[in-house]
Amino acid sequence: MNMLPESYFLSAPLWLITVLHVLTLTLHFVAMNFLVGGIIVVLAGKFSDKWNHPVVKQFVKLFPVAMAATVTIGIAPLLFVQLVYPRQMYSAAIVCGWFFLLIVFVVIAAYYLLYGGSFAKAGSKRVPALLFLALAGLLYVSVVYSNVFSLAERPGLCKALYARNQSGLMLNPEVGSWIFRWLHMMLGAVTVGGFFVGLLGRKHDDAFKVGKTFFIGGMAVAMLSGFVYLFSMMDLMKPLMHSAGAWWLLGSIVLALGSLHFFMKRKFAASGGMLFVSLLGMVAIRHIVRLLRLDGAYAPSSVPVHPQWDVFLPFLVCFLVALGVVGYMLKLYFGRQRPD
Amino acid sequence: MNYPFWDVEMGYGILMALIAVVHVFVSHFAIGGGLYLVVTEQSARKHDDARWLGFVRRLSKFFVLTTVVFGALTGVGIWFIIGLLDPAATEVLIHNFVWAWATEWCFFIVEILAALLYYNGWDRMSARNHMMVGWIYFIAAWLSLAVIDGIIAFMLTPGGWLESGSFWAGFFNPTYWSSLVLRTGICIMLAGLYALMAASREKDASFKASLVRHSAGWGLVGLAVVAASMFWFLADIPATVMDTAAKAMPIPMAALGLMWQLALVLGAMLVLFGLVLPKAYHPLVGVAVMVLGLVWFGSYEWFRESIRKPYVISGYMYANATEVGKAEAYQADGLLAHMAYRTGDDGDDLFRHACRSCHTINGYNALKPLFDGMDRDYIDGAVMGTGKMLGNMPPFLGTKAEAGLIADHIYKQVDHRPVAEIHGLSGAALGRKVYELRCGSCHVPGGHGSNTESYADMEPGDLGDMLDMAADLGDRMPAFTGTSEERQALIEYLQILGKGGAQ
Repeated sequence: MNMLPESYFLSAPLWLITVLHVLTLTLHFVAMNFLVGGIIVVLAGKFSDKWNHPVVKQFVKLFPVAMAATVTIGIAPLLFVQLVYPRQMYSAAIVCGWFFLLIVFVVIAAYYLLYGGSFAKAGSKRVPALLFLALAGLLYVSVVYSNVFSLAERPGLCKALYARNQSGLMLNPEVGSWIFRWLHMMLGAVTVGGFFVGLLGRKHDDAFKVGKTFFIGGMAVAMLSGFVYLFSMMDLMKPLMHSAGAWWLLGSIVLALGSLHFFMKRKFAASGGMLFVSLLGMVAIRHIVRLLRLDGAYAPSSVPVHPQWDVFLPFLVCFLVALGVVGYMLKLYFGRQRPD
Repeated sequence: MNYPFWDVEMGYGILMALIAVVHVFVSHFAIGGGLYLVVTEQSARKHDDARWLGFVRRLSKFFVLTTVVFGALTGVGIWFIIGLLDPAATEVLIHNFVWAWATEWCFFIVEILAALLYYNGWDRMSARNHMMVGWIYFIAAWLSLAVIDGIIAFMLTPGGWLESGSFWAGFFNPTYWSSLVLRTGICIMLAGLYALMAASREKDASFKASLVRHSAGWGLVGLAVVAASMFWFLADIPATVMDTAAKAMPIPMAALGLMWQLALVLGAMLVLFGLVLPKAYHPLVGVAVMVLGLVWFGSYEWFRESIRKPYVISGYMYANATEVGKAEAYQADGLLAHMAYRTGDDGDDLFRHACRSCHTINGYNALKPLFDGMDRDYIDGAVMGTGKMLGNMPPFLGTKAEAGLIADHIYKQVDHRPVAEIHGLSGAALGRKVYELRCGSCHVPGGHGSNTESYADMEPGDLGDMLDMAADLGDRMPAFTGTSEERQALIEYLQILGKGGAQ
């Protein structure tokens, strides 16, 4: 009986899984920020003849694609977080069971709403209503995710909540433990949304101005909320500042400001690159905070590692081939079309 | 035992089926439909047929809206629901197959992008490039199935993985290939069914007839592949599993029977309305065929899921998430000692972890009707004997004291009146009911655990003696603890059974 295989192990070194997790989560956030931030900027921005504006129309057409990218890319970090933190994550998800499961249906609804917007005639009054409803759904998703992942870092609270209710109808009642984190994430999305509006609207002064306003304003309040979040961590502040997190934080702030600088000079490649690395830094800090929060309760480094290199290698090959095929398809789509 | 238990009254089986069956019905169409689109487009372009091309184009919009949105999101929904309902099994799968899932993700990215480019590329791309993207879509979609199939089939037949723990032994397990061919057949069949639905709305009668014939052909070819590979799949399932199912597992056997019947009806409808009377393929017929396909697929998935019982991962983890390899530890320490999440009510916690994956007290797969009128000692005995019962349930791996806590938990929620009063029965009819409740879970007359022949030559006194010493007659058999009226009625009924009646 006891000769059955042990299943609680990591099939690659922890550092490799962590790198993949942080990287794919950052990519997921880029797509999510384009989507959520883009909708917010489009809805709130002052464009001339907004719903007939070419940049707005382009965004409305792109939102379903951004949703597809958000969902598709989001699968990878979800996979890696389940690999390393299954007991924390599933437990928190179970405590919030119905709210968590509802995410699926809300996202489906939001997705169809976005498609509804993209199919609507230019200038249709339905578009803002559809976007607004889709945004409300996406905000629901973000709130539930913030609840679940903040709970996952607090096993004690998770157990106490489960003892109170087993029907999956609980949310994290310690609002302070997730609200600033959520706010920082959403304001970050507005910042990135502003960047993309500026990028796609670079040939339209009013659109660029809208993008710039949200990029600058979003970054200012995102930084402010980030500091509030940082100070709300109380006892974790000190260990965080003594860890690599301090360097990531400093680097991310500098890069974010650098990104803004190049954005103003309309050097979008440099600006976007810096913004991406800054976002990567924020995700890395998020990871370090999780480790610090779980310190004493769970250490991923304690999980045995039994590498499956013979499986990892085919994955790597498939990944590289997939990247190549994606590039090839984009070339087929955007490239010169040969007559048949 | 490392996770909390999500207590949903509607039952895990129903909740899982609601999401999973709908997902597979769309996701398999996503694969077969991709092939249908590109093959039909190729043929339309070869024959320079604008009407066919227009049909494929319209179908591609429906295809993208159905598969990329609903199909993809319900796929994520399966991740969510298995994590909520069976986190322990999901943990095992993730740890062993993470790189398989990561590989599938690579194909998924290609698939989604290809679907979007194919749909948006009708006017933008050359015919050659458009069809190339269509073929890339289909290949990526089928490869993602080829990866996921390894993980799904693993749960039923882990094969050599149980000894070696090797990824490849688990992935290319005994039912991998037959399951892959079977699912490929399902993909082709569903492509036909969905296309028929779209074709049913065509106005031009002669064009509609050719569309319907073409699509019905896909449905029938797929169905033929499904039927042939189903025999292969069934042959790959270990004989012991199938034998046990035939004797003691009415649910998977009923699902299997239903599946064959529905396949016949589906085939007949495709021939009749698809090939013989294609112009009469009304949208209502299309809906009926789609519903048949959905129920057929549901019965197949129900069979596949339930034939695994008592396991969720065969030979490794029971359906209630207790691990086969930890059985001795559970029995020595008790289940409570292994539970990471407790509520303060031990009976409730034990009931959840031992029974609630499949049973509720008064809702899905309810226990109350089975225990109404039963005494606490009988319930206690029943809990200890779950591994022997009809339905191939997991054995109870806790201590005697813990079984008692579960019995207390159930007993306080059932009707305490005598069976005669609850059901308004007396005599042999009461005996039959008492037999069903107290004996029928392990001894089905003429079926699982049947011993009716042995009653043939027994006098009422002998039967009474047998009931008095029931607890000594078999492993984990509970004592007869009913009232004297129930005892007398049961003896009367056993006599009838012994004479070959009332089965």
